[in-house]
Amino acid sequence: MRSFDTARTGSPPGFDRRRLLLAAGAGAAGLAVTGCARGDSTAAVPGAVSISTDNGSWDDGYRKAGDALKPLTGYRLRPLSNPEAISYKQVTQMTLQTSRACDLIKWGAGYELKSLARGGELSDLSRLWDRYEKKGWVRGSQRASMAYRGKVYGVPLYESHYVVFYNKRLFARLGLRPPATWDELKHCAAVLKRAGVVPFVATQFGNWPAYEWFQELISKIDPDFYRALMAGRARYTDDVPRQALDIWQDFMRKGWMTPPDYDQSNGAAGLKAGRIGMFLHGTWAAQGFTEVGMRPGKDYDAFLMPTVTKGAEKSVITESAVLAVPRSATRHEAGMASAGNWLAPSVQRVWTDFLGDGSANPVVRAGNPVVAEVKETVARERVTRLIRYGEASPPNLVQGNTQDIAAFMTQQSSPADTLRSMDERATDEWAAWKRDES
Amino acid sequence: MSTSTTRPASGAGRQEPDGPTPTESRARPSAPRDVAARRAALRDRLASGGFLAPAVLLVGALLLAPFAATLWRSFSDDHRNPGFAGLDNYTLFFTNENLVRSVENTLMWVAGTVILPCALGLAIACMTDATRWSRFARLCVVAPYALSGAAVAVVWNFVLSSDGALNQLVAALGFDPPSQGWLLEWPGNTVVLILANTWQATGVAVILFLVGLQGIAPETLEAASLDGASPWQRFRHVVLPQLRPVSIIVIGMSLANGLKSFDLIWVLTRGGPGRSTETLAVSMYQETFLLQHEGAGAAIAVVLTLIVLAASWLYLRRQLDAKGD
Repeated sequence: MRSFDTARTGSPPGFDRRRLLLAAGAGAAGLAVTGCARGDSTAAVPGAVSISTDNGSWDDGYRKAGDALKPLTGYRLRPLSNPEAISYKQVTQMTLQTSRACDLIKWGAGYELKSLARGGELSDLSRLWDRYEKKGWVRGSQRASMAYRGKVYGVPLYESHYVVFYNKRLFARLGLRPPATWDELKHCAAVLKRAGVVPFVATQFGNWPAYEWFQELISKIDPDFYRALMAGRARYTDDVPRQALDIWQDFMRKGWMTPPDYDQSNGAAGLKAGRIGMFLHGTWAAQGFTEVGMRPGKDYDAFLMPTVTKGAEKSVITESAVLAVPRSATRHEAGMASAGNWLAPSVQRVWTDFLGDGSANPVVRAGNPVVAEVKETVARERVTRLIRYGEASPPNLVQGNTQDIAAFMTQQSSPADTLRSMDERATDEWAAWKRDES
Repeated sequence: MSTSTTRPASGAGRQEPDGPTPTESRARPSAPRDVAARRAALRDRLASGGFLAPAVLLVGALLLAPFAATLWRSFSDDHRNPGFAGLDNYTLFFTNENLVRSVENTLMWVAGTVILPCALGLAIACMTDATRWSRFARLCVVAPYALSGAAVAVVWNFVLSSDGALNQLVAALGFDPPSQGWLLEWPGNTVVLILANTWQATGVAVILFLVGLQGIAPETLEAASLDGASPWQRFRHVVLPQLRPVSIIVIGMSLANGLKSFDLIWVLTRGGPGRSTETLAVSMYQETFLLQHEGAGAAIAVVLTLIVLAASWLYLRRQLDAKGD
């Protein structure tokens, strides 16, 4: 304590230390104040609407779409991206509880949107939706996946279908044509395998791709059952899921699937090089084929997977992310105006040209001819659109079941054990969802 | 320990506020001096408190308060409006097979991260301590330590995936790669992850053991040689005992690293396939942020914290006491 006494006498070293401590204290206080201060990333910027997204590679697309929106709303788009999907969800959910949320957020449809909407943090877009419907810019059947308790909370960002892309030149060389029946699909796979090509991409790398084949097989066996299963009205231990996993296991045993740790981002290059023959994926993958130098309609094409059961209703798995407007948006009116004009054809043409995918507005033709043809086929043949597995049930159920499917793909879990585990989780999570609803 | 010598002093200190002792009451004229001394003591205490306050506040606000909140949350259920759930979240450790697997993996990680980096670190440090190429060899071993866990995971993903470098090497050598990928089947995938972690973690053990080796007095080794000790005997009876303080630090760090292992696992496998490679730290994240089971996640966090504290306390108490003797 002697040193304190020295300091109190005002000797130069003590004085210096006091000043040093004072400066350090002031610095720490400054840092604390800065840390507690509100960030300005969501602050209003003149003439721009902030949009929170989970994909930085789409920033240019949002800017271009924003340029097309400006004549309609007076605002451009200012994308704020967080490229890590899990982190994006957490940050966005936290931001919604502040007084300065983004003006628009990208979110999942279906139960992803419902679980956010029931917290009361999203704006009701029902009037915007009604206007869109009157203009014919949305299909009425899309409403259910954007609504919660009768009110609409999202506007579709795009519309992708799950289709099978194939290498046209490889098919021609092997004398194959796009299969129209399940037997023809298996014939294509057998021929490709004999030629040293892995017929199908199937992977659990990145987690969510694990359910791509699951949703596809169940919906192609019985689309009504798929709808019932997703709504919690059917059981995972029923015959249809068992048949789906048996088919899948048979394909894996025949060597028709890529290893379960295959990186899908290599899918386009693999298809181009002829290492893989068919790639079941969303139509957004078309952009990847273009990037590796494949020409739509010439080097690659796509077909809807045929039904497993003869005579089953034709269906296609469909995915639409949504644009939602937080109630606490910094510029709420501007956000509403942008959501209300997002599906305008002039905006959608720019946006879908950038994406290389389909628009949720049925009057806008996709720029990519392969995607355009898929959408025309779906419309012409009145193919039933089914919501993607990822958004079709409560998020906790989907997350856990996707992990179970991944365990099945790596043969750590038998079909029976996998389905039993999924069924038990479905019972628990549906009960939890309904309890929380009440 | 010296508690027996400190107790009477502190006991005397505690008696002070009880009132003036007979001696003090007789010495009334010195009361102003006593008051001044007490004021000085009070000032000193306030000053000490002032200096301690920022640290205490920071630890309280950033560590203890969140821990208390986590503890409280672990007794709540996972409904939208959480209610009291008693010990339900803790019983998951016995009933949920994913958590049981997670505990198994955590134990494997602890064993692997303690034994492998320590043994390899010691071996490499001893072998490279006095050789010509030691600097280069050390650099090779230490360099991965400078990389982040996420970067290491990305590199190992290139190596370990089914169409990755390792399988291509196996095929090029004329062998058949394993039918299941390196990261796809339990417990092999956990073992491979531990080996990947060892590649990175050995560097710091090497550095610490080298520091320890350089602190060993050469006279002790010379004396052992003159007494006719073989190289192994010199290592076993002269070098190893003198490395004890460093070993305590290396093993303690490895223990903590093993229990909190997260980044490498998350980037390489995300705890999968299924949930087969999860450790408790990954399960905590998985339950809390992905499955929105915040009560279960909090219970895992509490158990993990208790395990880390208990393991560290048991280990350090034993080792440091022994050293103190």
